[in-house]
Amino acid sequence: MENYSQDYKIERNDIANAGTVASLTKRALKKRGLSREFVKQVTIGLYEAEINVVIHSYGGTVKVVIEDDFVEITFQDVGPGIPSIEKALTKGYSTASSYAIENGFGAGMGLPNIQSVSDEMDLQSSDEGTYLHIKFFITKDCYAS
Amino acid sequence: MQVKDISNLNQLDLINNNGNLNTEINGIFACDLLSHVMGHAQENNILITVLNNINVLGVTSLLDLSCVIFTHDTDLNEAIINKADELEIPLFVTKLSTAEITIKLYELGIKL
Repeated sequence: MENYSQDYKIERNDIANAGTVASLTKRALKKRGLSREFVKQVTIGLYEAEINVVIHSYGGTVKVVIEDDFVEITFQDVGPGIPSIEKALTKGYSTASSYAIENGFGAGMGLPNIQSVSDEMDLQSSDEGTYLHIKFFITKDCYAS
Repeated sequence: MQVKDISNLNQLDLINNNGNLNTEINGIFACDLLSHVMGHAQENNILITVLNNINVLGVTSLLDLSCVIFTHDTDLNEAIINKADELEIPLFVTKLSTAEITIKLYELGIKL
């Protein structure tokens, strides 16, 4: 199938639009005949990462690439970065603001959820920003029967 | 069981017009933390929550949940109701607590 590549901007604190990229990508994956379970895994990873950029960073971008044998999603945001990646990957650990918590986020489950749904994850962070790359391999089992 | 089969329950009010009432229901997920919902709710679950913000609908739509029940008489603003209509998600409000409505739904035959 034709390769798919889309770039999006994510605005700081724009909680009302968080999930837009996940929703558009979900549609594109379904169109390619991928199974509900596979689509759900990608959607969860993408949604959680979108929320992270919205509630923690000063804004960023995301690139979604779908090829025949993988889905690759790359986030890059601008500051303040993750002080401890090890802690951030611990279930329940959170540095979220009260704004995020009032909106139902900030339970410290975002990165652990992303890690558990994706096949590969690369997370790098400094006080200038955070880079997150996640990959999902598409095998023949990932198609709807 | 479908969403329309729960819409006649006492003390459960459907509050939008354009929700799809023919959606199948296959279970209940009660939670107020969206990352937990995202990580654990299953397709066609009913979501029961007190969290009255628009992201509830984003998660409901992404996971293909069947409908949302807001407990404790949660106030919903027009933006949420309009968005639910756009996404065809049925929204219900009840005075009951999360535990009480969960028990009622269970008694109606919906398994957790």
